[in-house]
Amino acid sequence: MIVTQPRRAVVVALALWAAMTGSAVHAADPDPDAGALALESAPIDPPAASGGGLKLSLEAAVGRAWLRGQGAEHRSLRRGSVDVVYATRFAPQWQFVFSDRVDALHPHDGDATVNSLRELYVGWQDPAAQWAAEVGRVNLRQGPALGFNPTDFFRDGALRVSTTVNPLLVREYRLGSVMVRAQRMWADGSLSVALSPELDDRPDSEGWSADLGATNARDRLLLSLSTRWSASTSSQLHLYAERGGRPQVGASLSSLLGDATVLYAEWAWSREPSLLHRAQGQESARQSGHRAAAGLTYSTSTRLSLTAELEYNDFALSSNERKALATAAPALFGAYFFEAQRRQDLAARRSVMLYAKQTDAVWRNLDLTALVRTNPGDRSTMGWLEVRYHFPNVDLSLQALQYRGRAGSEYGSSPYRRSVQALATVYF
Amino acid sequence: MIRNTPPAFHRRACVIALAVSALPSYGAADAQAILAASDAIRNPSRPFSVTVTLTEYQAGTQVDTSTLQSYSRTLSTGGQFVSLIRFVKPARDAGKVMLKAGADLWFYDPGTKASIRISPQQRLLGQAANGDVVTVNFAKDYTATLAGTEEIQDGERKLRRSNRLKLESSSDDATYAQVELWLDADNHRPLKARFFAESGRVLKTAYYRRYATQLGVERPTETVIIDGLNPQSVTLLRMSDYAARDLPTAWFNKDHLPRFQPE
Repeated sequence: MIVTQPRRAVVVALALWAAMTGSAVHAADPDPDAGALALESAPIDPPAASGGGLKLSLEAAVGRAWLRGQGAEHRSLRRGSVDVVYATRFAPQWQFVFSDRVDALHPHDGDATVNSLRELYVGWQDPAAQWAAEVGRVNLRQGPALGFNPTDFFRDGALRVSTTVNPLLVREYRLGSVMVRAQRMWADGSLSVALSPELDDRPDSEGWSADLGATNARDRLLLSLSTRWSASTSSQLHLYAERGGRPQVGASLSSLLGDATVLYAEWAWSREPSLLHRAQGQESARQSGHRAAAGLTYSTSTRLSLTAELEYNDFALSSNERKALATAAPALFGAYFFEAQRRQDLAARRSVMLYAKQTDAVWRNLDLTALVRTNPGDRSTMGWLEVRYHFPNVDLSLQALQYRGRAGSEYGSSPYRRSVQALATVYF
Repeated sequence: MIRNTPPAFHRRACVIALAVSALPSYGAADAQAILAASDAIRNPSRPFSVTVTLTEYQAGTQVDTSTLQSYSRTLSTGGQFVSLIRFVKPARDAGKVMLKAGADLWFYDPGTKASIRISPQQRLLGQAANGDVVTVNFAKDYTATLAGTEEIQDGERKLRRSNRLKLESSSDDATYAQVELWLDADNHRPLKARFFAESGRVLKTAYYRRYATQLGVERPTETVIIDGLNPQSVTLLRMSDYAARDLPTAWFNKDHLPRFQPE
């Protein structure tokens, strides 16, 4: 009673105050919308004056990474990046696209400055937009999944530098493949064919190289059929072939469940070397297997978006196999992860990913993003958190990354234990 | 019976009958027709583009501006009203495109090269959601009934006699469960609208104002949107540069989004 009486008094006082102030506002302002109707729009800024087809951004990052198993030893991290995209329609049916990124890195394994010529192509489409074609380096990306895309057949070798674990940004930084692509579109679907020729036989680590060997090391063909079954469901079917390999098939689906949930699923089947065999250079040792990913994205009315994704890869080692390899052949163990990263493949047989983004968290223009990846086989985990504030043309962000797991586990094998970094991005 | 009635009564009856016939007395079909007429005032019947400048206010202070370009048309098959919304400003979002064909919503980011299906709820989180209040055709997705004739204050803060329509969603493509729409009783111009969630909660209130001739018709060129949950949050949408466009149907296929570059 002694405790509750003052509480009750406070509640009563608050209620009285609310009632009084509420009625006062009501009495003083009979038209609640008058204030809103007195506001004026900002001056109209014609789109042509806002940069046209050029998009340029500069980014600077500083941070620190703590190494695994070496006490408190740490490294400073520094990066400067220039990102430019230019797209223009130089004739009524013709389009030119140039997309490039330069990263200056510290520390670095190879060159300190790495250029990624992501796209450089000319596109054409007929006036009715039923036929279209592109020639050049095109970033052709497939699959609705967020963390792992089994049907993204042009992903391997496409990433020159690894500067983030955010799957959305990894896609943004990757190289396209040189190809000729044609597409026929109709109201509820499309059929496309992409031919990507062999132009070089191996990747080139030289910083300013176009690195055609990374993306065009063999002849490749991709046929894709996209179908819109209804307003809420659509699918894609893929047939992929590369010289020296067996054909692969893939399918994906995305569907709307109610007002707030999107379901997606991806699957691919192939007969190819396992990741371990690739790491050993045994390209002829083939096995049949599946890759799959399925997930849900749920959005709330409070500006929170949540994605949960399950991922599977027959070509990856199981947790027990990986643990045994870590003990028996540490060098091969490292090569295995390097190969998985190079191919942007799933290093675990099974993986779970959770991705959450809260827009306007606490304050307006403040976004919180969290990513957690877990290997349920060895219970190792990677966690990434970003706090980002948007100014009109500048983003400031803080990122923290943590790897947890025992030696020999997927995330316990990372050379870093954790890292933090601060980033500033300026958009022009 | 009529012959026996006094002439004075007859005259009075005629006057009343005439007066009643002069009053707006709409059945459901008429309400739907005037709803379609008001749609035609907000949106040109032919394919068109419009630049939308959004100015956001919090408690009377301007906190943000952004610019979108909207490309809309009615599909010849099915009569669905579809829109492509291209983000122009701020610079970080430039080039992103949203495709809206009812509940079929896709978001394309030229950076990630990904066309991602999004849910109606997810779309409501972004500024593009306010585009609905401007470029949407109600008659296709809602059933209208006349709820009354009343005098209201319009967006220019003038009193106007209006017909209040009650709209109930009649298709899965409808964004809102219910809409209350006030149309000028003289010319069906939209004056004000209130948008409701299924729970009955007011999601937003809109005032259509600054009428000016665009593509041959007097159309509202500014919409004031007041947030239902937080009335201190107000967004002004200014429409400019209306232009008739040749917008091929295939543009509204999500597989076309990577190639969408109208300028």
